[in-house]
Amino acid sequence: MRTLYRCLLCLHPPGFRLRFSEEMLWIFDEAGPALRRSVFLDGLASIARQWVLRSGSWKAAVAVAAASVQIAMGGLIWLAFRQTGGTSHRGPSAQDAAALADLMRWIVLLSGALVSLVAGVSVWFNKFAARRASRS
Amino acid sequence: MPDEISRFLPLSPAVLHILLCLAGEPRHGYGIMQEVARQSNGQYKLGPGTLYDNLQTLMTQRLVEEAPRPRDEDPRRRYYRLTGLARRVLAADVERLEAVVKEASLRLRGPRPRRV
Repeated sequence: MRTLYRCLLCLHPPGFRLRFSEEMLWIFDEAGPALRRSVFLDGLASIARQWVLRSGSWKAAVAVAAASVQIAMGGLIWLAFRQTGGTSHRGPSAQDAAALADLMRWIVLLSGALVSLVAGVSVWFNKFAARRASRS
Repeated sequence: MPDEISRFLPLSPAVLHILLCLAGEPRHGYGIMQEVARQSNGQYKLGPGTLYDNLQTLMTQRLVEEAPRPRDEDPRRRYYRLTGLARRVLAADVERLEAVVKEASLRLRGPRPRRV
Protein backbone atom coordinates (compact mmCIF):
# COMPACT_ATOMS: atom_id res chain seq x y z
CA MET A 1 0.00 0.00 0.00
CA ARG A 2 2.87 2.36 0.82
CA THR A 3 4.51 1.69 -2.55
CA LEU A 4 1.22 2.39 -4.29
CA TYR A 5 0.84 5.65 -2.40
CA ARG A 6 4.42 6.60 -3.30
CA CYS A 7 3.53 5.95 -6.97
CA LEU A 8 0.46 8.19 -6.58
CA LEU A 9 2.69 10.96 -5.25
CA CYS A 10 5.05 10.52 -8.20
CA LEU A 11 2.11 11.17 -10.55
CA HIS A 12 1.56 14.69 -9.15
CA PRO A 13 2.86 17.72 -11.11
CA PRO A 14 6.60 18.29 -10.45
CA GLY A 15 6.23 21.56 -8.50
CA PHE A 16 3.73 20.12 -6.04
CA ARG A 17 5.57 16.79 -5.81
CA LEU A 18 8.95 18.31 -5.00
CA ARG A 19 7.49 20.55 -2.36
CA PHE A 20 5.00 18.30 -0.56
CA SER A 21 5.44 14.61 -1.46
CA GLU A 22 7.85 13.81 1.41
CA GLU A 23 5.45 15.35 3.92
CA MET A 24 2.48 13.53 2.41
CA LEU A 25 4.33 10.24 2.59
CA TRP A 26 5.24 10.95 6.19
CA ILE A 27 1.55 11.58 6.99
CA PHE A 28 0.68 8.29 5.28
CA ASP A 29 3.24 6.55 7.54
CA GLU A 30 1.82 8.25 10.63
CA ALA A 31 -1.82 7.47 9.78
CA GLY A 32 -2.99 4.17 11.22
CA PRO A 33 -4.11 1.28 9.00
CA ALA A 34 -7.73 2.38 9.40
CA LEU A 35 -7.02 5.81 7.93
CA ARG A 36 -4.73 4.70 5.11
CA ARG A 37 -7.57 3.89 2.73
CA SER A 38 -9.04 7.40 3.01
CA VAL A 39 -5.56 8.96 2.68
CA PHE A 40 -5.04 6.89 -0.47
CA LEU A 41 -8.39 8.00 -1.96
CA ASP A 42 -7.54 11.59 -1.08
CA GLY A 43 -4.27 11.13 -2.99
CA LEU A 44 -6.21 10.03 -6.09
CA ALA A 45 -8.45 13.11 -5.88
CA SER A 46 -5.37 15.24 -5.34
CA ILE A 47 -3.76 14.07 -8.63
CA ALA A 48 -6.86 15.08 -10.59
CA ARG A 49 -7.10 18.41 -8.76
CA GLN A 50 -3.45 19.29 -9.30
CA TRP A 51 -3.34 18.36 -12.98
CA VAL A 52 -6.75 19.67 -14.01
CA LEU A 53 -7.24 22.73 -11.83
CA ARG A 54 -3.79 23.88 -10.77
CA SER A 55 -1.18 23.00 -13.37
CA GLY A 56 -2.90 24.54 -16.39
CA SER A 57 -2.15 21.43 -18.46
CA TRP A 58 -5.79 21.43 -19.58
CA LYS A 59 -4.78 24.15 -22.04
CA ALA A 60 -2.33 21.80 -23.73
CA ALA A 61 -4.99 19.04 -23.66
CA VAL A 62 -7.52 21.39 -25.35
CA ALA A 63 -4.96 22.30 -28.02
CA VAL A 64 -4.12 18.63 -28.69
CA ALA A 65 -7.81 17.67 -28.79
CA ALA A 66 -8.64 20.49 -31.20
CA ALA A 67 -5.69 19.61 -33.42
CA SER A 68 -6.76 15.94 -33.43
CA VAL A 69 -10.31 16.89 -34.43
CA GLN A 70 -9.00 19.02 -37.27
CA ILE A 71 -6.66 16.32 -38.51
CA ALA A 72 -9.51 13.81 -38.38
CA MET A 73 -11.74 16.21 -40.31
CA GLY A 74 -9.02 16.69 -42.90
CA GLY A 75 -8.67 12.92 -43.26
CA LEU A 76 -12.41 12.44 -43.66
CA ILE A 77 -12.64 15.15 -46.29
CA TRP A 78 -9.70 13.62 -48.14
CA LEU A 79 -11.45 10.23 -48.07
CA ALA A 80 -14.63 11.84 -49.38
CA PHE A 81 -12.69 13.41 -52.24
CA ARG A 82 -11.11 10.07 -53.05
CA GLN A 83 -14.49 8.36 -53.16
CA THR A 84 -16.00 10.98 -55.46
CA GLY A 85 -13.05 10.31 -57.78
CA GLY A 86 -14.52 6.82 -58.32
CA THR A 87 -12.57 3.61 -58.46
CA SER A 88 -10.34 4.69 -61.29
CA HIS A 89 -6.62 5.09 -60.64
CA ARG A 90 -6.46 8.43 -62.37
CA GLY A 91 -6.54 10.30 -59.06
CA PRO A 92 -8.36 13.61 -58.46
CA SER A 93 -8.76 16.13 -61.20
CA ALA A 94 -6.76 19.37 -61.18
CA GLN A 95 -9.80 21.24 -59.85
CA ASP A 96 -10.27 18.74 -57.00
CA ALA A 97 -6.57 18.85 -56.17
CA ALA A 98 -6.67 22.66 -55.98
CA ALA A 99 -9.74 22.54 -53.73
CA LEU A 100 -8.08 19.94 -51.51
CA ALA A 101 -4.92 22.04 -51.26
CA ASP A 102 -7.02 25.07 -50.30
CA LEU A 103 -8.81 23.05 -47.67
CA MET A 104 -5.58 21.74 -46.19
CA ARG A 105 -4.21 25.28 -46.08
CA TRP A 106 -7.29 26.42 -44.15
CA ILE A 107 -6.99 23.51 -41.71
CA VAL A 108 -3.31 24.29 -41.02
CA LEU A 109 -4.14 27.99 -40.63
CA LEU A 110 -7.00 27.29 -38.22
CA SER A 111 -4.89 24.85 -36.17
CA GLY A 112 -2.13 27.45 -35.95
CA ALA A 113 -4.60 30.14 -34.92
CA LEU A 114 -6.15 27.91 -32.27
CA VAL A 115 -2.79 26.88 -30.77
CA SER A 116 -1.65 30.56 -30.80
CA LEU A 117 -4.89 31.58 -29.10
CA VAL A 118 -4.48 28.98 -26.34
CA ALA A 119 -0.81 29.94 -25.88
CA GLY A 120 -1.72 33.65 -25.79
CA VAL A 121 -4.47 33.13 -23.22
CA SER A 122 -2.12 30.99 -21.16
CA VAL A 123 0.64 33.64 -21.15
CA TRP A 124 -1.88 36.38 -20.34
CA PHE A 125 -3.36 34.33 -17.48
CA ASN A 126 0.09 33.61 -16.00
CA LYS A 127 0.97 37.32 -16.13
CA PHE A 128 -2.36 38.22 -14.55
CA ALA A 129 -1.83 35.68 -11.74
CA ALA A 130 1.74 36.94 -11.13
CA ARG A 131 0.55 40.56 -11.01
CA ARG A 132 -2.20 39.63 -8.57
CA ALA A 133 0.23 37.72 -6.36
CA SER A 134 2.73 40.62 -6.35
CA ARG A 135 -0.05 43.06 -5.45
CA SER A 136 -1.02 40.93 -2.44
CA MET B 1 -12.83 47.00 5.39
CA PRO B 2 -9.59 47.31 3.39
CA ASP B 3 -9.60 45.78 -0.05
CA GLU B 4 -6.54 43.64 0.73
CA ILE B 5 -8.63 41.79 3.35
CA SER B 6 -12.08 41.75 1.76
CA ARG B 7 -10.81 40.04 -1.40
CA PHE B 8 -10.12 36.88 0.64
CA LEU B 9 -13.61 36.76 2.15
CA PRO B 10 -15.63 34.63 2.71
CA LEU B 11 -13.11 31.92 3.56
CA SER B 12 -13.85 28.36 2.48
CA PRO B 13 -14.41 25.84 5.34
CA ALA B 14 -11.02 24.18 4.72
CA VAL B 15 -9.13 27.50 4.73
CA LEU B 16 -11.01 28.70 7.81
CA HIS B 17 -10.08 25.53 9.71
CA ILE B 18 -6.44 25.67 8.61
CA LEU B 19 -6.06 29.31 9.59
CA LEU B 20 -7.76 28.65 12.93
CA CYS B 21 -5.35 25.78 13.61
CA LEU B 22 -2.34 27.93 12.88
CA ALA B 23 -3.63 30.93 14.85
CA GLY B 24 -2.37 29.44 18.13
CA GLU B 25 1.06 28.15 17.16
CA PRO B 26 3.06 26.93 14.16
CA ARG B 27 2.17 23.34 13.23
CA HIS B 28 3.26 20.69 10.77
CA GLY B 29 0.88 19.16 8.23
CA TYR B 30 -0.13 16.15 10.29
CA GLY B 31 -0.62 18.40 13.33
CA ILE B 32 -2.98 20.58 11.28
CA MET B 33 -4.99 17.53 10.20
CA GLN B 34 -5.33 16.32 13.77
CA GLU B 35 -6.26 19.76 15.07
CA VAL B 36 -8.93 20.22 12.38
CA ALA B 37 -10.47 16.87 13.37
CA ARG B 38 -10.37 17.91 17.05
CA GLN B 39 -11.86 21.37 16.41
CA SER B 40 -14.78 19.92 14.48
CA ASN B 41 -15.33 16.94 16.80
CA GLY B 42 -14.31 14.64 13.98
CA GLN B 43 -16.99 15.97 11.61
CA TYR B 44 -14.55 17.61 9.22
CA LYS B 45 -11.60 15.53 8.11
CA LEU B 46 -8.91 16.98 5.91
CA GLY B 47 -6.83 14.64 3.76
CA PRO B 48 -3.16 15.41 2.99
CA GLY B 49 -3.94 16.20 -0.67
CA THR B 50 -6.60 18.76 0.27
CA LEU B 51 -4.44 20.16 3.05
CA TYR B 52 -1.33 20.73 0.95
CA ASP B 53 -3.36 22.07 -1.97
CA ASN B 54 -4.78 24.72 0.36
CA LEU B 55 -1.41 25.37 2.00
CA GLN B 56 0.15 25.91 -1.43
CA THR B 57 -2.55 28.46 -2.30
CA LEU B 58 -2.26 30.15 1.10
CA MET B 59 1.52 30.43 0.72
CA THR B 60 1.12 31.94 -2.75
CA GLN B 61 -1.32 34.46 -1.28
CA ARG B 62 1.19 35.15 1.52
CA LEU B 63 -1.27 34.17 4.23
CA VAL B 64 0.86 31.27 5.48
CA GLU B 65 4.62 30.93 5.59
CA GLU B 66 7.06 28.25 6.59
CA ALA B 67 8.27 28.46 10.19
CA PRO B 68 11.66 27.29 11.49
CA ARG B 69 11.65 23.62 12.50
CA PRO B 70 12.23 22.89 16.21
CA ARG B 71 15.47 21.08 17.06
CA ASP B 72 15.64 17.27 16.89
CA GLU B 73 12.61 17.13 14.64
CA ASP B 74 12.14 14.71 11.75
CA PRO B 75 13.49 16.59 8.68
CA ARG B 76 10.40 15.50 6.73
CA ARG B 77 8.24 17.67 9.00
CA ARG B 78 7.84 21.25 7.92
CA TYR B 79 6.16 23.81 10.12
CA TYR B 80 3.75 26.48 8.95
CA ARG B 81 2.58 29.69 10.60
CA LEU B 82 0.24 32.60 9.89
CA THR B 83 1.40 35.95 8.57
CA GLY B 84 0.09 39.26 9.92
CA LEU B 85 -2.23 39.59 6.93
CA ALA B 86 -3.72 36.14 7.65
CA ARG B 87 -4.54 37.19 11.22
CA ARG B 88 -6.41 40.23 9.97
CA VAL B 89 -8.24 38.14 7.35
CA LEU B 90 -9.18 35.53 9.96
CA ALA B 91 -10.42 38.22 12.38
CA ALA B 92 -12.55 39.76 9.61
CA ASP B 93 -14.07 36.39 8.68
CA VAL B 94 -14.82 35.54 12.31
CA GLU B 95 -16.55 38.91 12.64
CA ARG B 96 -18.59 38.12 9.52
CA LEU B 97 -19.55 34.73 10.91
CA GLU B 98 -20.56 36.29 14.24
CA ALA B 99 -22.92 38.61 12.38
CA VAL B 100 -24.38 35.62 10.50
CA VAL B 101 -24.90 33.66 13.74
CA LYS B 102 -26.50 36.69 15.42
CA GLU B 103 -28.88 37.20 12.50
CA ALA B 104 -29.74 33.50 12.42
CA SER B 105 -30.45 33.43 16.17
CA LEU B 106 -32.77 36.44 15.86
CA ARG B 107 -34.68 34.89 12.99
CA LEU B 108 -35.04 31.50 14.62
CA ARG B 109 -36.22 33.08 17.88
CA GLY B 110 -38.86 35.21 16.12
CA PRO B 111 -42.60 34.36 15.88
CA ARG B 112 -43.45 31.33 13.82
CA PRO B 113 -45.57 31.90 10.72
CA ARG B 114 -49.25 31.20 11.33
CA ARG B 115 -50.89 28.26 9.62
CA VAL B 116 -53.63 29.19 7.23
